[in-house]
Amino acid sequence: MTYVLEMKEMTKKYGEFLANDKISIHLKKGEVLAIVGENGAGKTTLMRMLYGLEQPTSGEIILNGRNVKFSGPLDAIENGIGMVHQHFMLFSDFTVTENIVIGHEPKRNGFFNRKAAAEKVKELSDQYKINVNPLKKAGDCSIGEQQRIEILKVLYQGADIIILDEPTAVLTPLEVEELLKTIEFLALQGKSIILITHKLPEVMKVADQITVLRNGRVTGNVLKQHTDVEQLATLMVGRELQKLTQRVQLDGEPLLVVDNLTIGGKEEKPILDDLSLTVHRGEIVGIAGVSGNGQSELILAITGLRKIDNGSIRLGETILDGTSVANRRSAGLAHIPEDRYLWGAAKEATVEETGLMGYYRKKTFNQSSFIRLNGFRELLKGWIDRFEIKTPSLDEKSGNLSGGNLQKLIVARELGFETDFLIAAEPTRGVDIGAMEYIHEAIIEKRNNGDGVLLVSSELTEILTLSDRIAVMYEGKIVDILNRKEATEEKLSVLMAGGN
Amino acid sequence: MNRKRKLQQLLKSLVQPLTAVLIGLLTGAVAISLVGASVLETYKVMWDGAFGNFYFVTATFARATPIILIGLGLAIAFRAGVFNMGAEGQMVLGAVSAALAALYVPGSGIIKILAALAAGFLAGGLWSLLAGWMETRFKVQLLISTLLLNYVAVLFAGYLVSHPFQDKSGSAALAQTPMIDQVAWLPKLFPGMSVHMGFVIAIVLAIILFIILRFTSAGYEVRMLGYNPFFAEYGGINKIKVLLYSMFFSGGIAGLAGTVEVLGSQYRYVEGSLTVPGYAWTGLMAALLANSNPLGTAVASILLAALQTGAMGMERNTEVPLEIASVIQGVLILFVTAKITMNWWKVKKKGRDIHGAA
Amino acid sequence: MELLDLSFFTSAIRMISPILLAALGGALCARVGIFNVGLEGLILAGAFSAIVGNYYSGSVLVAVLTGALGSVLVSLLFGLAAIRLKANPIVAGIAINFLVLGLTTFGLRAIFDVKGAFYDKNMEGLPKLDIPVIEGIPVVGKLLSGHSPLVYIAFLAAILLYIFFYRTVTGFRVLAVGKNEAAARSLGLKVTLLQYGAIVACGILCGLAGAQLSLGQVTMFTEGMTAGRGFIALVAMMLGQSHPIGIVGSSLLFGLMDALSIRLQGFSMPTQFTAMLPYIITIFAMFFLKDRGADSQLSGQQSSR
Repeated sequence: MTYVLEMKEMTKKYGEFLANDKISIHLKKGEVLAIVGENGAGKTTLMRMLYGLEQPTSGEIILNGRNVKFSGPLDAIENGIGMVHQHFMLFSDFTVTENIVIGHEPKRNGFFNRKAAAEKVKELSDQYKINVNPLKKAGDCSIGEQQRIEILKVLYQGADIIILDEPTAVLTPLEVEELLKTIEFLALQGKSIILITHKLPEVMKVADQITVLRNGRVTGNVLKQHTDVEQLATLMVGRELQKLTQRVQLDGEPLLVVDNLTIGGKEEKPILDDLSLTVHRGEIVGIAGVSGNGQSELILAITGLRKIDNGSIRLGETILDGTSVANRRSAGLAHIPEDRYLWGAAKEATVEETGLMGYYRKKTFNQSSFIRLNGFRELLKGWIDRFEIKTPSLDEKSGNLSGGNLQKLIVARELGFETDFLIAAEPTRGVDIGAMEYIHEAIIEKRNNGDGVLLVSSELTEILTLSDRIAVMYEGKIVDILNRKEATEEKLSVLMAGGN
Repeated sequence: MNRKRKLQQLLKSLVQPLTAVLIGLLTGAVAISLVGASVLETYKVMWDGAFGNFYFVTATFARATPIILIGLGLAIAFRAGVFNMGAEGQMVLGAVSAALAALYVPGSGIIKILAALAAGFLAGGLWSLLAGWMETRFKVQLLISTLLLNYVAVLFAGYLVSHPFQDKSGSAALAQTPMIDQVAWLPKLFPGMSVHMGFVIAIVLAIILFIILRFTSAGYEVRMLGYNPFFAEYGGINKIKVLLYSMFFSGGIAGLAGTVEVLGSQYRYVEGSLTVPGYAWTGLMAALLANSNPLGTAVASILLAALQTGAMGMERNTEVPLEIASVIQGVLILFVTAKITMNWWKVKKKGRDIHGAA
Repeated sequence: MELLDLSFFTSAIRMISPILLAALGGALCARVGIFNVGLEGLILAGAFSAIVGNYYSGSVLVAVLTGALGSVLVSLLFGLAAIRLKANPIVAGIAINFLVLGLTTFGLRAIFDVKGAFYDKNMEGLPKLDIPVIEGIPVVGKLLSGHSPLVYIAFLAAILLYIFFYRTVTGFRVLAVGKNEAAARSLGLKVTLLQYGAIVACGILCGLAGAQLSLGQVTMFTEGMTAGRGFIALVAMMLGQSHPIGIVGSSLLFGLMDALSIRLQGFSMPTQFTAMLPYIITIFAMFFLKDRGADSQLSGQQSSR
């Protein structure tokens, strides 16, 4: 049995912290290996070592029977290893072609031969049935297209082993289908694939072999035919998943009422097109949709972070449109933002300062404009206990917290306002399963208390688990609203793609 | 336990500036040896020139006065996340307005002084606000606009004192205003010494600003705006308002720097008297050196002023030229934001970062 | 005297060359993601070392080369701080300006034992180049011929830079670094090398700019003789969107303004107002800069640290 790649007893230490502890994997030609694990399980570290971005503390990499050491990505690329990063590494101002050939540009008389480059890209795209437009600007491409650019790039670089890091996180259900087909086709063509993911259904669809990581260790290595989603989940988490709190049936009055909301676009198509939506008390309304169909703008419009061109937004008796962010917040609006590092926190600010946002204006913590920190600290410590937020101290920089812990801090802060209404945008993006359970619990609890929640998420499972009603957004409009009982992943997928 | 952590943090925050100071002094040592003087003796002479006796100490404080004020003003802007490079223009406009107010506002000495302080503050503040307004309203980059406005302000002040308000009394037509009435002078702190009331104003202001930035909601808003304007806006902070206020106070305090120089030591506005010594740039460096902490800025300003008065003493007593001070200062600032950290700390931090990212 | 005659335009062309050279250097840095506020210091270093080279060698060519070399050395120091030590480029740039001001004044004392300015009548300035064919054409000849070689080099540099950016592979990679450094790094592009390359090239260009200042008109060095030209170059760079052709345009504007302000002094306007003109016009020009947001992240306005 010959392997194209073996990694033996890979160990990586950062000071005291053991990110990878004697992890071994192996991969045959034409095989799809899935490496699954929660956030922080050590998947990324392992792949960074394989790609030459990190040096292992110990362990060896055997490529085609040869012991290799990579001092940088260039080494890895030259040895036929390619990586499609989770966050695309694209130059949005450059064309598709330029993005694919960069680093190995065709030349003529010493000058960059863009024509030859475009032809090569066309060839490659035909050969692997990966469809792109070589002359389009990468920035104008959809997320799915951008991912195809990334895959073509590693193929162009001559990769035989392709690492895909969480490739489906950003894709629509249809795009996921297409990607999985591409993966199968590439494997058929003799490419070996390493798929890093935490989405088990996809793993069960394409993987031949599955390695499960938890806390930097291998907890299982199985062939697909010998396992199922439940077993993998248990291996990943180390325990059975909790069942969510029962939801109480509530028939509340309308709380958030959005009428005829319109935001004009740069060109002819509006970003939000005459959109109306109501969230009742005691209700979670989920917004499903392929990202970029106006969900972000809807949130920004409701919270006052973006100007609207037409329409009205009402929260209970208060008219929100035209008022400041601060006014809307004091009218009873809390907001878990979709990007925690952009909106939700300041990396340089301490945990305490990040938590204080909004509270510093409250009378309890503000004595003639001097902030009463002692009182606030008690509250903050309560959050830290309740949500098990791991931080060395209250003075730690927020940016040093892990993504999951920072998200929990933000969730705790926004829930702590005890407002009637909450916007939860991607509330569990990039957090581990443990934290996800906490956050989901908290959101349901809030709903059961009779408050209204508007949930926006790109994870259909999250939408389906939490929502009472699901509104599907497509091109700035709500195309349909489904009840919890009638909604299925299949139905939503079709609606999200603009179908009926 | 907690106190120990705090102490560790304090020490850690001092490592960076102290390393920079050390590199600066080493470079100075090289330059001193180049001209063939003894390094230790020269530094000794410099030290004496800055702190050698009471007179020199007060001279250092007098020089530090405008630098502290400039530094404080810039610290506010930096904290709010805007790179105000216009301290020079703000200071000069403040100075010339203060001089004119002290000259032409009728009334007793105290009224003249108050009018001058108000005029200086307002002139500097409004000039700075102009740049802030252009940034928030038209997205004209503040870094560049403040820089350009410096030239305009300095030239305009130069015009005022060489044409309409020129002192015609002297035989040589210098570009300066007439002298202010003695009743409107800021008192000296010690008879015969150059340090004046402006120094006290600067120190008090440093303490006030420290308290405001640290403990009040306004300070919190400014800091959060500087850390991440999106986060600030999301949390309900009025981004534009806080930025404009910050710019106004930033420029206003720079204007005060010019004002106290006029009222406390020059007693008139003399063209070039504030720009030639490079107060504005030195103040900028002090704020950078102290990472925009108001108290730290005051300390750093005094140190930089000492470097300059020390260098003057050195030039009087040795063959080493005065410009050593600028060389040391330049090197010091060059390395102040550089990441010169010890290895163990780096590794530890990296581990944490990866842990966070994974 | 007429307001706009031929000599007005020739003087404008002469005046833009230091600004153009330095702005092109700044653009190179900007294109690899480093906002270089230290242009002023780099030009000054060039001007001073050119004079030193001239004094000791007696050769103008050597003088220009030492000018470039002096500026490159300072530029490398800036690179060391900004790239290797990850200092804030704006802070490092300001420091460079201050440092060079100190070093050159110190150098005047240490090398020539003078204060303020150094002049030696034996030093030879840059020659005036008469271009054979163009020289003969009536108006154009006077306008375009008879400048110092560095004036022609400045315009040539702009064209070469354009070709470099948009036609060569290395130039393409330089652009890539500036657009997305992380992505460039992940591709295994030699980001650091490209950045140092840009910084060295910027040093050379600024050195030439300095040489033009100290050897172009009157062969002498005065303390702080750049008088803000580095900052003007910085603005010209931003106004020209770091695009070589755009920079030629914005530099021309500054050259004209500069020449105009000098010319206007003959018209009994207070000199302060004429001197203000370029700055005020620049401020107004900034209102019309399209895509102003693009560079604002570059200059790191977000935070001073």
